Amino acid sequence: MDKIKTTRFGEIDIDKSKALHFNDGLLGFPDKKNFVILEHNPGSPFLWLQSMDAPELAFVMINPFLMKEDYLQDISPEEEALLKGEDDDEIMVFSLVTIPRGEVQKATVNLMGPVVIKTGSRSARQVILANSGYSHCHPMAFR
Amino acid sequence: MLVLTRKVEESITIGNHVTVSVLEVKGNQVKLGISAPRDIAVNRTEIFESIINENIKASEAPMDLGMLSETLKTGSGE
Repeated sequence: MDKIKTTRFGEIDIDKSKALHFNDGLLGFPDKKNFVILEHNPGSPFLWLQSMDAPELAFVMINPFLMKEDYLQDISPEEEALLKGEDDDEIMVFSLVTIPRGEVQKATVNLMGPVVIKTGSRSARQVILANSGYSHCHPMAFR
Repeated sequence: MLVLTRKVEESITIGNHVTVSVLEVKGNQVKLGISAPRDIAVNRTEIFESIINENIKASEAPMDLGMLSETLKTGSGE
């Protein structure tokens, strides 16, 4: 176990073997390459993508298939190749959530720019599916 | 910024593996052909910027998602 400092959650213990490495960072944050996934609350559909380099930097993520059951089913072979990369490593796909301050009911999900994690190597990338027709601000559905 | 003048069917090469060709010029529209390795992302700049802006907005998430979790509708949605 290792400790990292975070602005939102204080000092937390993390398992460094579970850390994710973004070779190119996230778009807009090219020099923040190391992240760890934290559970929000037990049973919550949300996860946090917490930077190990910058305590204040964290993103809310969700399983995009909860938002759209047929997500990624109709993408082109080129975009599928972009998602999967060159090797056969298994991937996990998450979407970043944007939550306007004070207006959580206007939260949106970025389906155009999913975060793709290779489960074997723990390397991660943000992929742009520009021709998929998916929105970078897909409205969340609320009851 | 490096400025080069090219004619239709001419191209430029960036690094060792990326080639940008001018395919067609019609009025103020230019059709470009880009050949690049699969791991090089090629996107219209405005798309790229929209993802950057969305990421910046997403990085400002409040800590308390309580209400969001409770009211979120998941699955197919009836």
